[in-house]
Amino acid sequence: MLDLDQILKTFNPGTPNEVRALRGVSLRLERGSFLIIIGTNGSGKSTLLNAVAGTFLVDTGRITLAGQDITRWSEHQRARLVGRVFQNPFSGTAPTMSIAENLAMAALRGRPRGFGWALNARLKGEIRDRIRTLNMGLEDRVDNAIGSLSGGQRQALTLLMATWLKPELLLLDEHTAALDPKSADQVIRLTHEIIQKDRLTTLMVTHSMQQAVNLGDRIVMMHRGQVLHDLQGAERARVRPEDLLARFDQVRRREQLDPAVAELLQRSYV
Amino acid sequence: MSLLIGASTIGLILALLALGVYLSFRIFNFPDITVDGSLTFGASVTAILLVRHVPPVLATLAGFGAGFLAGALTGILHTKFKIHGLLSGILVMTALYSVNLHVMGKSNLPLLNEKTLATAAEHLAMRLRGGEQDVGILGWSVGLRDLSMLLGAVGLVGAVGGILYAFFCTDLGTAMRATGDNPQMIRALGVSVDFILILGLALSNGLVALAGSLLAQYQGFADVQMGIGMVVWGLASVIIGEALVGTQRFGFLITGAVMGSVLFRLLVAIALRWGLNPNDLKLITAVFVFVALVAPNLVRRLRSPVPKPNPA
Repeated sequence: MLDLDQILKTFNPGTPNEVRALRGVSLRLERGSFLIIIGTNGSGKSTLLNAVAGTFLVDTGRITLAGQDITRWSEHQRARLVGRVFQNPFSGTAPTMSIAENLAMAALRGRPRGFGWALNARLKGEIRDRIRTLNMGLEDRVDNAIGSLSGGQRQALTLLMATWLKPELLLLDEHTAALDPKSADQVIRLTHEIIQKDRLTTLMVTHSMQQAVNLGDRIVMMHRGQVLHDLQGAERARVRPEDLLARFDQVRRREQLDPAVAELLQRSYV
Repeated sequence: MSLLIGASTIGLILALLALGVYLSFRIFNFPDITVDGSLTFGASVTAILLVRHVPPVLATLAGFGAGFLAGALTGILHTKFKIHGLLSGILVMTALYSVNLHVMGKSNLPLLNEKTLATAAEHLAMRLRGGEQDVGILGWSVGLRDLSMLLGAVGLVGAVGGILYAFFCTDLGTAMRATGDNPQMIRALGVSVDFILILGLALSNGLVALAGSLLAQYQGFADVQMGIGMVVWGLASVIIGEALVGTQRFGFLITGAVMGSVLFRLLVAIALRWGLNPNDLKLITAVFVFVALVAPNLVRRLRSPVPKPNPA
């Protein structure tokens, strides 16, 4: 389904600000699987998501999605296959435009846009019906500007927009990190429902170990631009938040040593 | 009365300029200086075609097309060659100055003996009124020529404003508004932001050139200097319009830009009547725009000295 093959990305190469953000990441995702990516700050997890979304082109490596080689596709071309929800709740919606207009644009994700009316009675009815499933009381306010809503409401709508047309791949980039706990819970519940209902193939980045354990069927832990652990099947089923935290500790301890020494120790003792 | 009608007519014609500036400045937040060149470009292309006896409607459409291309070029310089937006506009504007001289062959092209949209409106009115020169309105005697042009301008601007409004309601137009609002979002929905920006700037400068084309036909000549300072003029109209309608809804803002343009032109006409030195006009326009841009923030700061916490 999604196949990442030896992805390398270096930002600002040859300058003092050089960052080797992705150092040979390979991942293979089956259709309908829900992969959670965790990792320390700067481990490259969001960068990996952006590489798949096409925010930048990778230096080397190959990205295949739904049987198509999308390595050289631009961001807006990939949008045909990919639905996205950003970390910032303000990133996914156009604030001065109405709820209905925002959703009408999402209903054409990745499709050609011409001179047909953006909103008609039928589409507006459908928008109301789908918004009703959010249980936020927004179905009566579809003509209001989306900028007047709270972060949680906007994130819920962004999720609805990203999945309005069933995407081949859903990308969630810490999409509840900027929300208050109650809204975050609500959005997570909604995320779970939508992914279950449509059996969406999903890649989700999160900081919350609880979310990582509760959601998804596979956990990948990244560190320094590489995949450090890949928990699937029985191993994934056993894992608890404490286990994940222990692995973070392990990484941190290793970090305090010189990288070369760490390599040596790893090889001799582990 | 004739002064007011004349000022209103020019105000309406320049409302097309205001709509173009609204599109680039307000929808895309793109400071597009191309306007100064494309207004003259529209005028010069239309003028030379009229002199060559091309039907006025075609000559006017060609003027629109000329501005459309100029705007597209600015957009391409900015998006494909990554040149700063302001500089892209300056480059195209500067180049257009020479182009305009080449198109007209000289710096000023009179249209006094040509068939134009203005003479067409006049002829139509003459035929409808059976050859009368003046019309009485509320006790005022008004020249038929002036009145016919005013009505013609009302019709044209109304039509263009309506088309623009309808366009903004389509899938493509909605995507255009969203591009200015949140480019990241519309890109994630599969729209090429570069393409939309090029198209938007083309449309914006097309409208501006249309204003130039009509202005040349109304005043009876095209001049290579006629575009100078027109960006600021358009911006002033848009700002007045925003103050008049006081909402962010684009339907109101389109109407506002038209009203703002007419009101601004009327104010200028009255000020000139009262003895304002025409040489000071651009200075005063610039100061006005400066004040209009700064005042809202200043007022806000004076009203609430303590920053309120964000309710969201």
